[in-house]
Amino acid sequence: MGLAEWFVERLALDRFRAKYLGKPFPVHTTFFLGEIALFCFALLVVTGLYLALFYEPSAENVNVGGSVMPAAFASTVLIDSHPFGLLMRRMHHWAAHLMIAAIVLHLLRVFFTAAYRKPRELNWVLGLVLLAGTIMASFAGYLLPYDQFSVTATAIGYGIARSVPWIGGAVADVLFAGRFPSPSTVPRFFAYHVVYAPLILSALIGLHLLIVLKQKHTEPSSSAGHSASADASGGRLISGIPFWPQQSALMAVLFLLVFAAAAALSAFLPVHPSGYYGPPGPATPEVKPDWYLLWVYGALRLIPGDLSFRLFGATIGSEAIGAMLVPGAIALAILLVPWLDRAPSSLYFAEHPLASPARLAMGLAGLTLFAALSVAGFSDELKLSVPVLWVVTLLSPLVVWWATYSLASRRRRASGTLGLGRN
Amino acid sequence: MDRRGFANLSLKTGIVAAIAAAIPGIATLRGRAKTAGSKSPEPGDRLVFALGQNAGQPVTEGSFTQNEAVLAFPEGKSDNHDNLVLVCRLNPALLAAPTSLDGVVRGVVAYSAICTHLGCTVRFSEEPMDMAPFPHIHCPCHAALFDPHRGAVVLGGPAPRPLPQLPVRLNERGEVVADGNFAAPVGVVT
Repeated sequence: MGLAEWFVERLALDRFRAKYLGKPFPVHTTFFLGEIALFCFALLVVTGLYLALFYEPSAENVNVGGSVMPAAFASTVLIDSHPFGLLMRRMHHWAAHLMIAAIVLHLLRVFFTAAYRKPRELNWVLGLVLLAGTIMASFAGYLLPYDQFSVTATAIGYGIARSVPWIGGAVADVLFAGRFPSPSTVPRFFAYHVVYAPLILSALIGLHLLIVLKQKHTEPSSSAGHSASADASGGRLISGIPFWPQQSALMAVLFLLVFAAAAALSAFLPVHPSGYYGPPGPATPEVKPDWYLLWVYGALRLIPGDLSFRLFGATIGSEAIGAMLVPGAIALAILLVPWLDRAPSSLYFAEHPLASPARLAMGLAGLTLFAALSVAGFSDELKLSVPVLWVVTLLSPLVVWWATYSLASRRRRASGTLGLGRN
Repeated sequence: MDRRGFANLSLKTGIVAAIAAAIPGIATLRGRAKTAGSKSPEPGDRLVFALGQNAGQPVTEGSFTQNEAVLAFPEGKSDNHDNLVLVCRLNPALLAAPTSLDGVVRGVVAYSAICTHLGCTVRFSEEPMDMAPFPHIHCPCHAALFDPHRGAVVLGGPAPRPLPQLPVRLNERGEVVADGNFAAPVGVVT
């Protein structure tokens, strides 16, 4: 009896094989985006396990070869000096960027194909929570090298948390373990970043995947040949390639590609060079947030100080409007998408992106708003004044909405077939 | 009391007791208080360079020419980041209210360097801008603009209030010294 047999007998692997290994996976390039995010997460865990061996979560000053610097910064520079240490740190950073980018693209795919509709509202919300959690985990990780940039970014985050009306002071102090920079902040953020974030994200990723397993994927609208068979079986047949061996082979290749992409980016494009930024000092560098927070940064620049108002004894300052009210309203709108879209839905089919001009127009207008707010973050570089940027931010989404809506409607009328739920 | 009633009462008492016991634990989440660096500037404190090769050396009248500025701390009080000041030397003829002119000496005026928007360190700039075609103070984080000639009032951008002024005078050796504390709370106040 072979070794494989031995395990098969004891773990009843035949039943497992019959039930799960034949699970159909959709074949469409955009259906790999979620997997890419998952592989980035795996890469983050692996590189993080290495970094955690050397990183010292402390802002206390230590003397390194005659110069005094915080222990966290000193340990970061030490990691950079190890063989492959700098590569590991850069790959960790790049994998985080790639993960957020993959989640955002995954979100866009789900939005534009209306795959968020009943019964998949739950996974839409869970996916957004995963995106928010990933961004928060990145924000906590940003502080850890404890260089000049990290400290500036975290100080701004602290100021934003403080601007919460009524309870801001307590909220900020609880989240940042005292008035930043407090000696307790670095150990606290270390715990957030290496204990809480991976545990919570792993659990939520597991739940996200379980729900997909239970609900099955939406059938891509391009697989017209397959949908005939699904129709024949009353929509109960989901087509695709089996998990084993075809999908597993694809996933292995995809993982290696993600790994290669992160490694190549890290090798050629330095990201967050802590040693170059230097330990924290009194002056503030020209600091811009990472690309996925540029829109909040732009909103902060757009809201003038005299827009602040008082409400029930609390001051709603410009920073609360720019970093909480505006992003909060946008996030809420995205969260409620499955309930705002009242069109009748198909249980099994992803819609063609052009099928609904209204949704396509809303999606592209939303993307334009994000882009315009991000551009506002470069007001100094572009020599654009705040009023001009206000006009651009408010008008460009409307223009894009109108142009998309009229073009897509005309196309729908011309082709006729696209209007019918699916094509 | 029957057994069910007793079990219910025990459960409820237990929940209330657990919540009550958790409160001091939750309070500890606020972290350690800062031990060092809570001192604020006092009259007579010399201002010393915060950065550069002169770090720790006193700022004197001759340290800068007109329309220049340096970052400084009150001597021995650099632990408290809120003590960071931007000492500017401006054209005395242009200085006007709401700058407290009693706290200005020969065009040397000091303001808190902590932006009132989100706490970044502000900078002095001579480069003329649309909203400030004269030497001004700006914040590199979210582009707040302040007018150092007129009490660092907000010229534009997201800052909610002016940078508080720190009154200064010159001592007998020509060194810039503090002549009191900041005129208003420093940094982000909510």
